[in-house]
Amino acid sequence: MVVHDISLTPSPKMQRAVGKLALRVASDGRYGARLADLREQGSFRSIFPRPSGNSLDAVLLNTAGGVTGGDQFSIHADVEAGASLSLTTQAAERIYAAIGEEAGLVRNRATVAPEACLHWLPQETILFEGCNLDRRLDVDLAEGAGALILEPLVFGRGASGESIRNGALRDRVQITRVGSPIYLDGIQMSGDLTEQLDRSVIGGGARAMASLIYVGTDAEARLDPLRGLLPDTGGASMTRSDVLVMRLLAIDSYALRQTLLPILKLLTDDSIPKNWRL
Amino acid sequence: MVARTAMNTGTRRMTTTIEVLTLAQLLSPSFPVGAFAYSNGLEAAIAEGRVTTAEQVQDWLEGILMHGSGKADAVLLNVAYRAQVVEVSEIDASARAFAASKERLLETDLQGAAFCETVAQVWGLSIERLTYPVALGRAARLLGLDAELTTAMYLQAFAGNLCAAAMRLVPLGQVDGQEVQLALKPICLEVAEQVKTAELDDLFSCAFASDISAMRHETQYSRVFRT
Repeated sequence: MVVHDISLTPSPKMQRAVGKLALRVASDGRYGARLADLREQGSFRSIFPRPSGNSLDAVLLNTAGGVTGGDQFSIHADVEAGASLSLTTQAAERIYAAIGEEAGLVRNRATVAPEACLHWLPQETILFEGCNLDRRLDVDLAEGAGALILEPLVFGRGASGESIRNGALRDRVQITRVGSPIYLDGIQMSGDLTEQLDRSVIGGGARAMASLIYVGTDAEARLDPLRGLLPDTGGASMTRSDVLVMRLLAIDSYALRQTLLPILKLLTDDSIPKNWRL
Repeated sequence: MVARTAMNTGTRRMTTTIEVLTLAQLLSPSFPVGAFAYSNGLEAAIAEGRVTTAEQVQDWLEGILMHGSGKADAVLLNVAYRAQVVEVSEIDASARAFAASKERLLETDLQGAAFCETVAQVWGLSIERLTYPVALGRAARLLGLDAELTTAMYLQAFAGNLCAAAMRLVPLGQVDGQEVQLALKPICLEVAEQVKTAELDDLFSCAFASDISAMRHETQYSRVFRT
């Protein structure tokens, strides 16, 4: 076990932080989506920059400034029939060194009703030396619901030459349709993450990775245009007739974002959240 | 290491030589699952220059066995082995949802289907169409085979099949291929030990480049393998 020197640990705080956000979005007939319910607790705040159009845009802020061991965060989003929600974060989420054995817990879930759509587009999660993150995202789709889900992960800030010699990550994404799993992903890494990412079978030297899932009746039509936007460190595939998955490795978070932006533009029909830019 | 004690079914017992022979048969290249047709994305990794030498083949396979689809298969096999009959379809649904790409799903679905058909005809086992590691876990349970030995032998067969694929695609000699498999034996044993008490929640993979290669294989111009 590595004993962290507290004075050197780049944690912005010593107390456990809690943040909870619950929101419900309903359809407002031909006027688009509206916020039907919102609850914020602890360090989570949300802003709604563009209340027009067919989709409600929500931007999440974590006033705790990051996640460290023992923190507990959760987002719960319900998208009701016919409504659309696009959710992103104000900034990249930083996962700082955890003191002790406890992981920072993130438990997010969403339900998407018939003819409703969820765009889950958080900015990057950046892991730092000593990080210990245990995260889970569960999305349940109704028949006829659509979703675009992206989780970009950055392993240290490559430009600053940082490496993660001791870190832990457990990251689970499960998407179900009427309760049955249609997509299941799980990442578990611990120890020297940088060394593992250098292996050709894992990262081939990459320091950033993104997973993307697109569920929709037009998914297959999106496959070829998406492939056309991928460098040779990325791949895309249809795992079901309406489920498109993509995995992308990049040398750093900038290169990852450079590739992701046109992809998001394609898959959102040019309605990327405003803070998603280079 | 023929005789060994096992606790997997909750009772202490010895693995008999006949069980080892049964597993060798189930996991032999002659067992009609058509394993030789699948490369798990290795063909694309070779075509794109990610894997070119015997050393790199070994490193790639080691990564898959410890952190990728090999490890995930080992988890699924063990979870299916210990499951009640009513839980099997849920495990199989998770196995399908966990498949990283269309061809990964094809690989586990078609091999599993062929495996189920064969064990139904030859051993009279009633196993519905299941993904390959789930089917093998069920068959091993029904035939009273040791779970840890089944897992280790499955992983060795998996690695051996990919070595054979690599030998067709890169200048990896016959001797190299055997040396790689010899070097991977301790890993097969280690992973089989690790997953003894695994649950569905232990289904992980971080062999990202391997998953990406499996996706990229779909558009590869010239292909020998189906995956």
